[in-house]
Amino acid sequence: MDWAILWQYRAALAGGFAITLAVSALAILGATLLGVLVGCLRASHSYLLQRLTASYTELLRNLPLIVKLFFLYFVIGLPALPAALAALVLHQSAYIADVTAAGLRSVGRGQFDAGLSLGLKRWQVYRRVILPQVVRVMLPPMTSQYVSVIKNTSVVALIGVADLTFQTQQINVETFRGFEAATAATLLYMLVAGAVIAAMTRLQRRQVMR
Amino acid sequence: MHAVNGTLNPQVWIWRVLVAVALVLAAWLVASLDWSRVAPSWQFLLLALGRSWWLAIIAMTLGIAAAMPLALLRVYGPPWPRRAATLLIEAVRATPELMIIFWVYFTLPVVTGSQVSAWNAALGSLSVIAAAYLAEVLRAGLFSVPAAQREAARALGLKPVAVFRLVVLPQALRNMLPALIAQLVSLFKTTSLVYAIGVMDFFRAVSVTNNAVYAPYPLYLVLAAGYFVSCWTITQVVRRFDPAYQLLD
Repeated sequence: MDWAILWQYRAALAGGFAITLAVSALAILGATLLGVLVGCLRASHSYLLQRLTASYTELLRNLPLIVKLFFLYFVIGLPALPAALAALVLHQSAYIADVTAAGLRSVGRGQFDAGLSLGLKRWQVYRRVILPQVVRVMLPPMTSQYVSVIKNTSVVALIGVADLTFQTQQINVETFRGFEAATAATLLYMLVAGAVIAAMTRLQRRQVMR
Repeated sequence: MHAVNGTLNPQVWIWRVLVAVALVLAAWLVASLDWSRVAPSWQFLLLALGRSWWLAIIAMTLGIAAAMPLALLRVYGPPWPRRAATLLIEAVRATPELMIIFWVYFTLPVVTGSQVSAWNAALGSLSVIAAAYLAEVLRAGLFSVPAAQREAARALGLKPVAVFRLVVLPQALRNMLPALIAQLVSLFKTTSLVYAIGVMDFFRAVSVTNNAVYAPYPLYLVLAAGYFVSCWTITQVVRRFDPAYQLLD
């Protein structure tokens, strides 16, 4: 064991960590926007939209992430970072769409009718009645979706994006101190996942108390 | 859904036309590609797809074997072993799959001093991943059996082991079957990552073929089709057991 190697490579590790953080944040944002949009269409009453969105999630969920990543990078020829982001967003948006659709379906039609009959406008029913209930149902599964995104970002190392996993590999190749580097990287990944879980739990608690 | 006031919903027709157009386009795409350079490799590619399946199935089996004691410890264990099991499960679940594969392949030999073959490293890391996720599936399954079942069996005079084996486990297994099969889909997709340490799985076989004959478009289609058909088949099995089950990853 030679933990000093971590200090020696602190700049590389910090840089890789920063890239992992940035890619995670952007991918979470993108996947949430796209996934919620597709999920809303999925829960709509239009037969065509239901079928189209079902095909979308079915196609994306049955392909491994790196198949999509390599398609965007090698076949389409996007630069590494956009390809990585697009692959992560597409991949997770399919799962988030399912979570959203299930959340929307969990709120009964009666809630909507009751809101209207109380004299609320349509947008008020959505804003005040439907949304809070949907968010409450969606928060726990969304937490695990976000943790998935953070873990999945490690795949971008395979197309040469210098993220945390890539730097760990680099340290291993240069110094054979892979154990120390992998331990540090694993702890950093857990730190990010832990932070996301803590933030989502806080959000959940605020939702319940309201 | 289909019949609205005796007539067919126009959207159903639009959807059918769209599907037909998509099928024609797909057929045209397949026909227009040059398959002559890929065709000689079909056996190699099919064998590699089989190897991916094999990897997923063995890892799943080993994973269940390891997940059982982990789940039992987490549910019924004394405080300290329970905490240890929880820590182990959560640590694996919070670590990227690729990282675990690298861990087992690159760092374990440094620690233990003996070289691990890529295949064994792949099998080991996939089993560890499967064990952690399956332990949670088993735990949820054990919790899905109401406590009254256990109490009733105890009141009938069954010993704790018999209660578990004859009453709790059969019900728990039935409840968690869809989730167990869903884990196989997830695991099958994860096998694509072992390409990074040099195992000749389906993903690597396709890229090796491409390096040899350079035919990215037909080969990419083969890659996507191989994974899609495999995962979709397992998904359909889940749907048979529980149409309402939500596949998450």
